[in-house]
Amino acid sequence: MGIDQHFPALIIAILFGIAFLSPPLFRWARKFSAPALITGLALSLIMAVYLLVLVLQGGEFTYHMGGWPPPWGVEFKVNLLRAYMLIVVLAVSLWIMVYALKDLEHELKKDLLGWYYSLYALLVGSMAGMALTNDLFNLFVLMEICAISACGIISIKEDRACLEASFKYLILSAMGTGCFLLGVAMLYMVTGQLNYDLVNEALPAAIELYPNNMLAASALFIVSFGTKAALFPLHVWLPDAHASAPSPSSAMLSGLVIKIYAFALFIMFYQVFPRSLLESIPLNEIVIWLASAGIMFGSIFAMVQVDLKKMLAYSSIGQIGYVFLGIGLDDTIAITGGFYHLLVHAIMKSMLFMCAGVIIYSTGIRQIKQLGGIGQVLPVTMIAFTIGSASMIGIPGTGGLISKWYLALGALEIGRPIFVVIILVSSLLNAVYYMPIIVNAFMQQEEFQHEVKPVPRQMLIPLVVGMAGVIFFGVFSRPVITLLENAMQIFL
Amino acid sequence: MEMLIKILHNYYYMVAILLFIIGMHTMLTHSNLIKKVIAMNIMDTSVFLLFVAIGYTYGGEAPIIREGSEVLYVNPLPGSLMLTGIVVAVSITAYALSLVVKIYRFYGTVDYDEICLIRSQE
Repeated sequence: MGIDQHFPALIIAILFGIAFLSPPLFRWARKFSAPALITGLALSLIMAVYLLVLVLQGGEFTYHMGGWPPPWGVEFKVNLLRAYMLIVVLAVSLWIMVYALKDLEHELKKDLLGWYYSLYALLVGSMAGMALTNDLFNLFVLMEICAISACGIISIKEDRACLEASFKYLILSAMGTGCFLLGVAMLYMVTGQLNYDLVNEALPAAIELYPNNMLAASALFIVSFGTKAALFPLHVWLPDAHASAPSPSSAMLSGLVIKIYAFALFIMFYQVFPRSLLESIPLNEIVIWLASAGIMFGSIFAMVQVDLKKMLAYSSIGQIGYVFLGIGLDDTIAITGGFYHLLVHAIMKSMLFMCAGVIIYSTGIRQIKQLGGIGQVLPVTMIAFTIGSASMIGIPGTGGLISKWYLALGALEIGRPIFVVIILVSSLLNAVYYMPIIVNAFMQQEEFQHEVKPVPRQMLIPLVVGMAGVIFFGVFSRPVITLLENAMQIFL
Repeated sequence: MEMLIKILHNYYYMVAILLFIIGMHTMLTHSNLIKKVIAMNIMDTSVFLLFVAIGYTYGGEAPIIREGSEVLYVNPLPGSLMLTGIVVAVSITAYALSLVVKIYRFYGTVDYDEICLIRSQE
């Protein structure tokens, strides 16, 4: 037993430590502050991969904070799905940070960068914690850290739209965490436990005695995670927040932050709640219909947008619907599809927001209408945009197809072809709003009207990596799919 | 009747839920940003009350174990959890208020309806 047994806690400790170090480093040793963050993210990514290897070799294991076993202490749990989630969070955030280093210099005031790094590390650390934690109250605390730092990376830009959007986001996510804490109170009342596994053991007996508590708790959890993850009727905060934020923040928020709550909902439904509860209350029914409505309306709202980033934000509402659809369909293949979409969407949506960021950096344009002919002046960016859009639509060879394929297969397997229709129609809708941009960008005959600043290479390389990622996960999907199918075995 | 007696016996739960609903309703419907922040605090506090109420036992004492005496103890866990909860609520409040200050600097008002009006006139 060496230091590797402490890796689950070390990942979070490193990220939170960097959050505290960043501002002083930026103040007194400016050139070390960005490398410190990158190193921290890379180190935790390496540890996460090592954790995955450990799980693959020896099965799931737990880590007790401070050596206190549950029910006294906070427990972290590492199994296949959690390690997968951890790697997705850390890898995507490292990738976004590399892009952000250059982009932030022009989006933020110079002396705010150190604070941004600090908030970013807090955000990533809290998400990593949410992926690992096995304790309800610990999850609450991490959710609040995540909410504050997510609002922080929006409001740091200090223009009017950002401030209003982040206030709206803060109020609604405070409502979400309030509901979550009330739900935890309901569970704690009847079980006396906070550890996921112990709650799960105590719940079947408690449901017999206090069915109303369970009804209230499950309703509160759906509202809470629904608000945080922008499940359809609770999505109102998302478009403003994701569209007005600095581009790296948008990439982070759309790519990862909403996903981690979908993951938390999954854990609540399939690990904390006993199987009998899901069978007796139609919780999954509620989730899939809301998700389907979100898939449709998100795309329809996206069509009428004139602002590029706002369109991408509305598209996120539709895309998170696929993840919820997978969770709600309650079938190994569908959930695999949902979680595969989580990875693919994290890559492609972050990449699209980076493309929007490059366009804003280089030309200052945000309106979709003015993008005609931009393909000739920013070829790499627009090719990345094209590949990202192709994956959104689900064109063969891109990751988007694989996840939709598995979702549709899952829907067919449990005999609900209506969801296949929804997936198909929404793919068409995606094409309706992504295709015109691409066609305009490349096919326009006339010259591009606006001034174009040269784009630094440091911003283009992440885009190339993103393109490679989208295509890689579209062609070689087997390893990840197998991993997810194995991961699902303990839940279903 | 049985239901009513149950509710009367557990009136502190009802108070907590009532406060929660008041807070949530005010937070979502009021246009004054400061009132929204206050309502957020009411909502959080209601959950803290509920937690503390769960942990209380009638006639219980503070959970300090002394040699030779067997008394009923209050459950210490909810109380200590809520200390953490209060810290979190304070930090959210501080952040929300600082946002309100910044919004006030831009618009000269903390009323959301007036802010919308100002924006639509531009």
